[in-house]
Amino acid sequence: MARLIVTVLLTIVTLLASDANVYERNCVKCHKNLSLPLEKFFFDYLLKYSSERRVKQALENYLRHPRKKASLSTEEVLLRYGLMPKSTLSNKDLEKAIDIYWERNKVFGKIE
Amino acid sequence: MSASNATATGINHSERITLVRFVGLYSFLALMILILGSTIYFKLQKDLMLQTKRLELEEYSKELIDGLKLLHIYFDRYRTYPRNPMYRSAIYDADHIQIFSTLKYPEGVQLEKVIYTTDGVIQYVHVLDSYYLGAKYTVVEIDDDGKWFARTWRSILIYGGLFLTVFLAAGVMLVHLFLAPMRNAIHLLDRFIKDTTHELNTPVSAILSNIEMIDTEKVDPKTAKKIKRIEIGARTISTIYQDLTYLALNHKIASMNHEVDLSRLIKERIDYFKILGESKKISFETDIQNGVKLYIDENKIARLVDNLLSNAIKYNRRGGKIVIRLAPGELLVKDTGIGMSEEQIEEVFKRYKRFDSGAGGFGIGLNIVAMIAKEYDLQIEISSKKGHGSEVFVKWRV
Repeated sequence: MARLIVTVLLTIVTLLASDANVYERNCVKCHKNLSLPLEKFFFDYLLKYSSERRVKQALENYLRHPRKKASLSTEEVLLRYGLMPKSTLSNKDLEKAIDIYWERNKVFGKIE
Repeated sequence: MSASNATATGINHSERITLVRFVGLYSFLALMILILGSTIYFKLQKDLMLQTKRLELEEYSKELIDGLKLLHIYFDRYRTYPRNPMYRSAIYDADHIQIFSTLKYPEGVQLEKVIYTTDGVIQYVHVLDSYYLGAKYTVVEIDDDGKWFARTWRSILIYGGLFLTVFLAAGVMLVHLFLAPMRNAIHLLDRFIKDTTHELNTPVSAILSNIEMIDTEKVDPKTAKKIKRIEIGARTISTIYQDLTYLALNHKIASMNHEVDLSRLIKERIDYFKILGESKKISFETDIQNGVKLYIDENKIARLVDNLLSNAIKYNRRGGKIVIRLAPGELLVKDTGIGMSEEQIEEVFKRYKRFDSGAGGFGIGLNIVAMIAKEYDLQIEISSKKGHGSEVFVKWRV
């Protein structure tokens, strides 16, 4: 019985970790190396798209089809780093990564 | 058909009904105009108040947006929402989801409007160009002190009441103006009847008393027949005279009530009318119980009986029959005449109403009957069938 509980708990922890890893591995890692904080981009997206639904939709569109016109980065950033490559993540993983990005940065419940 | 429901007092009653109906319709229309005017006035006052408050709320909104801008830029350092004791506020995203609120009534927020009142507060909605913290809408709220509301209602009540009073007064004046020609015509007719009545009395009395003095057995049959015809004519005029006198004078004189022997009175009246009935070969069938009494003015009950008998003769067919039955609490006069329809029965007690102009009269007989019945609480019931005759029941409490 005790073995079963341990197995289930381990599975849950592994699953959660793998979800977080999608975001960490595919988004945070690159941006950290380039010194482009993801949090700043989040507030730029909020400023332009406002709601959760619209922000997520815009992010997904941009990550699938990165275009200069759709980018919220400044000219300098674009000149220096260029456009980010097209995401190769599966739809499910991309959605997960965006969800985690939203959950970590959203302002809901954080305003005092 | 019962006489108690019928028009018994003539012009004054119908004038009152007309007046009530007109004033009712007029008041309804006046009220509609007043409600419409009040609604427009109320809305204008509300808009005026909101426009005044809008300037104040726009200032608060600008202040809030400045605060949001700073919060958006420095969100990583501090997260305190911009507050001001002068107002409460809230921010909503593009999908109308509330991001943060200090509102008193957040459930009353209407993002599609600009400025409005709800639950005792005034809310002002501003749409942002840049969505600081994701906020597309800012809502600024202040308390509505309700002073404008009380002031507007007071004005509506005072001016509305004044308007209604003037309107109603004008209505009553209009009714009197419209009714004047009709009233004049009726008064003219009444005066004419009154004047004519005075002139009828002496000649009719002279004719009847002189006829009574003639010994018909001593004159030849041809002359006797002529005298009888004169007597019938004189009695008819006499009945009309009695009715007109009653209308012109009697109902204004105090009643002389006493215990009247109805059995005797009815027998006397039948004898009086028999001679009129004979001219149309009408037979009389009577069933009169002796000793039936009623506490009433004798002249008035005589007018009532005379009119019923006169009508039974007038509207009977030639060779017809009249049944008269008297029992305690009930008098029946039944004829075999032309009868009446349901609609005619409804109108039978109205003054100057005649259904057969060829039968003569002024249409005042049953109006007199209704007036007397009303005065003494007698129940008049009429049942009739066109072409078969009519039955008139007079009932009273024994």
